[in-house]
Amino acid sequence: MAFVSSGYNPDKPMENRISDIGPRFYKDFLPPVLEKNYGKWVSHEILEPGLLVHEAESGDKVYTVRVGSARLVSTEYIRELCAVAKQYADGYLRWTTRNNVEFMTPSLETAKKMKADLNSRKFDKGSFKFPVGGTGASISNIVHTQGWIHCHTPATDASGTVKVIMDELFDDFTNMRMPAIVRVAVACCLNMCGACHCSDVAVVGFHRKPPLIDHEYLDNMCEIPLAIASCPTGALKPGKTDLPNGKKVNTILVNNERCMYCGNCYTMCPSLPLSDKEGDGVIIMVGGKVSNRISMPKFSKVAVAFIPNEPPRWPTLAKVVKKIIEVYAAEANKYERLGDWAERIGWESFFEKCELDFTHHLIDDFRDPAYFTWRQSTNFKF
Amino acid sequence: MDETEARQHIVDSLKAKTNKSKFYLKDFYTFLPDMKKMEVGKLVNKMVAEGTLEYWSSGSTTMIGLKGAGKQHATEEGE
Amino acid sequence: MAKHPTPLLDQLESGPWPSFVSDMKHAAELRHTNPKGINQQIPEDVIDDLLGLLEMSFEDGTTHWKHGGIVGVFGYGGGVIGRYCDQPERFPGVAHFHTVRLAQPSGLFYKADYLEELCDLWDMRGSGMTNMHGSTGDIIWLGTTTPQLEEIFFELTHKHNQDLGGSGSNLRTPACCMGMSRCEFACYDTQLMCHTLTNEYQDMLHRPQFPYKFKFKFDGCPNGCVASIARSDFSVIGTWKDDIKIDQAAVKAYVGGEIAPNAGAHAGRDWGKFDIQKEVIGLCPTQCMSYEGGKLEIDTKNCYRCMHCINVMPKALRIGDERGASILIGAKAPILDGAQMSSLLVPFIPADDPFDEIKEVIESIWDWWMDEGKNRERLGETLKRLGFQKALEVCGIKAQAQHVKEPRTNPYIFWKEDEVPGGWTRDINEYRKLHQR
Repeated sequence: MAFVSSGYNPDKPMENRISDIGPRFYKDFLPPVLEKNYGKWVSHEILEPGLLVHEAESGDKVYTVRVGSARLVSTEYIRELCAVAKQYADGYLRWTTRNNVEFMTPSLETAKKMKADLNSRKFDKGSFKFPVGGTGASISNIVHTQGWIHCHTPATDASGTVKVIMDELFDDFTNMRMPAIVRVAVACCLNMCGACHCSDVAVVGFHRKPPLIDHEYLDNMCEIPLAIASCPTGALKPGKTDLPNGKKVNTILVNNERCMYCGNCYTMCPSLPLSDKEGDGVIIMVGGKVSNRISMPKFSKVAVAFIPNEPPRWPTLAKVVKKIIEVYAAEANKYERLGDWAERIGWESFFEKCELDFTHHLIDDFRDPAYFTWRQSTNFKF
Repeated sequence: MDETEARQHIVDSLKAKTNKSKFYLKDFYTFLPDMKKMEVGKLVNKMVAEGTLEYWSSGSTTMIGLKGAGKQHATEEGE
Repeated sequence: MAKHPTPLLDQLESGPWPSFVSDMKHAAELRHTNPKGINQQIPEDVIDDLLGLLEMSFEDGTTHWKHGGIVGVFGYGGGVIGRYCDQPERFPGVAHFHTVRLAQPSGLFYKADYLEELCDLWDMRGSGMTNMHGSTGDIIWLGTTTPQLEEIFFELTHKHNQDLGGSGSNLRTPACCMGMSRCEFACYDTQLMCHTLTNEYQDMLHRPQFPYKFKFKFDGCPNGCVASIARSDFSVIGTWKDDIKIDQAAVKAYVGGEIAPNAGAHAGRDWGKFDIQKEVIGLCPTQCMSYEGGKLEIDTKNCYRCMHCINVMPKALRIGDERGASILIGAKAPILDGAQMSSLLVPFIPADDPFDEIKEVIESIWDWWMDEGKNRERLGETLKRLGFQKALEVCGIKAQAQHVKEPRTNPYIFWKEDEVPGGWTRDINEYRKLHQR
C-alpha cells in the first residue's frame, strides 16, 4: 500500500490549484433523445409499474425503467448500474430525488428487455438488486439519512430501518394500488436531514435521555463555553464538581428538564454522549406532503410517540407502518393523500381506525404553535 | 484601519480569548466593528487560505480559530 | 471468511428489498481479492471494519461515531466532514473515516463512463462506500483518511473537472428537479438555473460567510418533486399566469375511457370508470372548472395552479405559456422552534437566463441575513424573529394580499414614525393648552 501521489504538492498547496469549478455540466450527461427534446416534452404515461414513456413535440418517445436502490451503495453496485446503462441505455443513467435509478431508451422493446433483466438480478442471499417499480400511486423509495453507519447523533439506524420497512411494503413498490403517492422518509434524529417533516409516513429517531457527563475528562477534551453556546434550549451551564478522588474540576451542568435531546452539545463536546440503548428509539409521524396538489403542503404529525429500537429488523415499527398504510389504502378516496384523508375523517377517527393509542405525548406542548393544534370547537366525533 | 492592521487585530483578539479557541464568523464582526461585515468575512477566509486561521466544522455548522489552537486539535488532526 | 462475524446484520440480507449488507459484504470481499489491482491507499479491510462497527451498534443500540473537526481541503470550509470512530483499536480501518461531498450535476444525470471514473478514484483513495445521494443532493463518499483528502481533491479538479459540495455554514450544494430534460410540467429551466447559480456563488459554497447553512432548491412546478418548499431557505417554484391549455378532444378521450387518468398511475386497482365530475371538477380546490356539453372550461382568474387537473389529464391539459417562478423563503427542519415551510416572497418573477432578477432577490436576502442573523440561525428563524415585513422591505417588494393566507388577527401594528402624520415628537405645552393637568 505504497503512497501514490496525485500530483499534489503538500509543500505548495496553492501550486496548480484548481478550485471553484462547481459540478459537471448536466447537458454533458443527458441521453441524446433528452438533449434533442429538451424543454419540448408534451406528455407522459406509466405503461406498467416502473416503466414510463415520455413523448415530445417532435414525436420522439423515450422509455424509462425505474428501479429501487439502497441509498448506501458500494462502487461495485454503481459499476453494475453502469454496465446495465451501457448494455441497454446508451451508457446513460440518472438518480431520482428518492434514491431510485432510471435508465432511458428510445425503444420499448429494449426497455422491456431491460426491465426483465433488472428484475432478475439478485444478491446471493436473495434480495433484489434492482427491483423495478416506484412509479405512480405506489410506495416509492424511502428518503433517509445516515444512521449508525456514519453519523454521530443518531437515535436509530437509517439503512436498517429502511430495509425492513421496504421489505414489508415491497409489494406496493412494484404495484400501483394506493389512493395516491405515498412518500416515506426516515431521519435518524431530530435534526431531520431527511424530509420527515413533510412526508406521508415518517420515522424519526429520538433520544429520550439527556447527555451523560464525563466530568473527569470534560475540561480536558472540550471548550466549555462552546458546548454551552451550542445548546438550543439553554439547558447547559458551567459548573464545578468533586470527583470521587476528591479533585475539584470544571465541568458542565445539565438542566435535564430543559434538554430536548438534540445532540448539538455532543457535536461540540465528546464528553457529553447522548446515545442510550433503552432511551433511544423512533417516533412515527404521518400526513405530511410537499406538493401543492389539491391541498396545501402540510407538516407531518406525530402518530406514535415512541417505539423502541429493535435491531436488526424492528418488527414493531414495520408492523405499525404496514397497518397505517393498509388502513389508508382501504379507506382513502382516489387521489387523497394520507394527511388529507386523516383530516377528512378527523384525527380521532384516524387513531381509532389504525388502532393506535392516543397518549398525552401526542398533545403539543412546545412553544406557541402548540395552541393552534388544540381543539377550539365542539365539532368532534365520539 | 488597513488590512495589515485588521489582520493583526484579528490575531490579537483571538489570542486574548483564553477560554475558547473556536469562534463564529459573527464574533469576528465584533472584533472589527468599523469594517463592513462582508469584508470581514472575506478577510477571514483569506487568512484561512494563507494558513493563519483554520475552519472547524461539525458538518452542519462552521467555526473559525487560530491554526493549531484548541483542546481537541491533537485528536482531530488525524494520523 | 468475514473478519468480524455479523449475525445481526446478516438478518438484513433476507427479504426482497436490495440489501445494503449483501452489497457491503460483497464489496468487502472485492477489496481483498482486488481483481482490478487497485492500489488501495486506505486499509484493505476498511469495509470489514465498517460492518463490524455497525454490527456493534446493532448490538448495543448506540452510535460509535464522533463529532466533526478541522479536516478539509486547503482554503475550503466545506465539502469534507471529519468523522472519527470511538472504537479505533477494534476497528482500526475506520478510525479516521471522513465524509467527502461531491457537487452533483443538475437533475442527477450521469454518463456511465464518468461514474466509473469516480468509482476508480474512490476505490483507490477511499472506502468504496457511497450514498447516491445525500439528502441535500450531493454524491456522498463515506470514509477516507486525512492524507487522502488533498489527493482526492487534486484528482477531482485536475482529471475529472469535478468540485466538492457544501457543508457547514455555507451555501449548500443547490438541487433541482429534472425539469425540462424529461418533464412537460417544467415552467422554467430548473437545471440551468441550478447550474448557473451554483457556479455564480461558488465562493459562498466553499467558504463560510453565513450565520448558518443556506439551501437553494428549484422545483419546476407546484408538484414540488425536489421538496423545495419544505427543505430550502430559498425555494424557487415554477408557475404560470395565463390559461391552462386545453385539448378538448383529449378531454373527451379521458371521459370516454380511451386514455388512462393520471398517466396510468392508478392502474394497480380497479377504481371504476373515470368520472371527470368527481375526479377533476369536484376535487378542484378553487371550484374554477366545469365540464358541460362535452366542453371543459377553466376560469383562469380563479385557478391557483395546484396541478391536480393537469396531473389527472396530462394529455389534455398543459401549463400556460406566460411562465416564470414564485420565490418562497425560509423552510427548515424542526430544530429549534419547529419545522417551517417556505413563505411566499415573490409571487411571480421571470426565470430566464441569466437570472438577474432572481440573483437580485438572493443578494438582498443574504445582505440582510448576514447582517441580522444570529449564530446558527436559519433564514426562517430570522424571519420569525424580525418579521416577514422586514424581508419585503429589504428586497424592496411591495406587500400584497398574496403574501398571506389571511390578514393578522391581532391589531398590534407597529407603525413606523414616518408613516404617522407629524411624527412622534409632540409639544406637551401645546397639549396642555387644551387639557388641564
